[in-house]
Amino acid sequence: MNNLSRRSFVSLALASTSLLAMPAISTGSARPKVVVVGGGAGGATAARYIAKDSKGAIDVTLIEASKHYYTCFYSNLYLGGFREYDSIGHSYDNLSANHGVNVVHDWAISVDSSARKVRLGSGATVSYDRLVLSPGIDIKYDSIDGYSVEAQTKMPHAWKSGTQVKVLRDQVLNMPKGGTFAMVPPPNPYRCPPGPYERISMVAHILKEKNPTAKIVVIDPKNKFSKQGLFMAGWEKHYPGMVEWIDNDTHGGIKNVNPETMEIETDLDTFKADVACVVPAQRAGAIAMNAGVTDGDWSPIVPASMQTKADSNIYVLGDASVASAMPKSGFSANSQAKVAANHIRGELTDSRVFPAKFSNTCWSLVATNDGIKVGANYKAGDEKIEVVDKFVSKTDENNAKRKKTYEESIGWYNGITTDMFS
Amino acid sequence: MFQGLVAEPLLDGADFDYGEYLSGQCLTCHQSSSDEGIPAINGAEALYIAKKLILYKNKELENEVMQLVASALDKEQIASLAIYFNSLEK
Repeated sequence: MNNLSRRSFVSLALASTSLLAMPAISTGSARPKVVVVGGGAGGATAARYIAKDSKGAIDVTLIEASKHYYTCFYSNLYLGGFREYDSIGHSYDNLSANHGVNVVHDWAISVDSSARKVRLGSGATVSYDRLVLSPGIDIKYDSIDGYSVEAQTKMPHAWKSGTQVKVLRDQVLNMPKGGTFAMVPPPNPYRCPPGPYERISMVAHILKEKNPTAKIVVIDPKNKFSKQGLFMAGWEKHYPGMVEWIDNDTHGGIKNVNPETMEIETDLDTFKADVACVVPAQRAGAIAMNAGVTDGDWSPIVPASMQTKADSNIYVLGDASVASAMPKSGFSANSQAKVAANHIRGELTDSRVFPAKFSNTCWSLVATNDGIKVGANYKAGDEKIEVVDKFVSKTDENNAKRKKTYEESIGWYNGITTDMFS
Repeated sequence: MFQGLVAEPLLDGADFDYGEYLSGQCLTCHQSSSDEGIPAINGAEALYIAKKLILYKNKELENEVMQLVASALDKEQIASLAIYFNSLEK
């Protein structure tokens, strides 16, 4: 926290009667330090809640390379033309101005967990008492033969929002008349389980209007997917005959992709695409691997706190964690961040720690005003995060209900981004 | 500040700090910055919030997300949330 923001923060805190109930604010280096790596739904929320709720008692540093964060959630709606690109971009300015978070725009390169230090791309190191890693996913480029970092301009995965989604939208808009859009969704587990199928819906929405004889072929490495009945009924209703979904048992497995010829080869057939979105397998962001808190591709966590099983000073949130029944979603990460923030405050300032409570809802848009959703409550079991109760939209809902669900998703987007960045 | 309200049976057992923690789940969607699609509830009457949550819990009000949220809340948690949201600026 810089001096100016610390001063303004403390004067705000003094103006609040709630200060009377708070532990004394320690100053300077005596304050416990929390470093948060990654400014997405997990990291931005954790940084904001720890700083906000500790009212200055904890020194919070957020390390995030991007100065402007483009949300992965709703990037499909940008792709489909329902949102402007700028409307899914957010700044970190309020986190420092309103809550005194020290925002450092850099990459976290490595973690020395015995010295409790994070080394940054600039060469600087930052010390921590507790470290929160919320790095999201890394793409396993070598999980599909023929795919690579270079291939992603020809066959964008566009699974981390940002500029690749723009590239993909341009490619769809410029697709030849009557051409083929191919989608290769990722294998489980991956970020945003309904995401590939919402993406197919959004591409179909564009093509129906601009290129109605075009086709969409989905070459899936899975045999079933999230909200499958709802999506497939929606495709038949809004885009009849346009979308062909081929499951793994039918095509027999994806053998390779060729970005030069735009071909996707399976045991069954070789599919030639004009535009292809290929989303490979995923794993926890590199810093989680580097910190030594992963087992295989992801970080096992203690459900009651989101501390890693490997190191109780390090918490992992969101996509990078093994959250068991909870999907890898922005909503999940935001929910987990609040559990971790409460636990960290308790550890560092002796504030009250309440039982972990998690929730998630994933809204998807199938067509104009046709929104669907799936959600659940979760609790911390001894070993795993467990489902308490769940719901999913029904296939026979009327148009008014679907429109309301879409409108609710807009409310959620405004809500969660305020919860992360205000 | 909450004395008068806490005397109300529906708000019995309300715990402000617990309400603050529990509110995290609500704030993912309910923010005073927007009323579009999801209502802003900051500063709402505590009894109004408690009664609404009970109606969702009993499935007398429709909305799957709210029914799910409310089904996992006990009386003390509902009361705690009600007084906490009441304390927030609109």
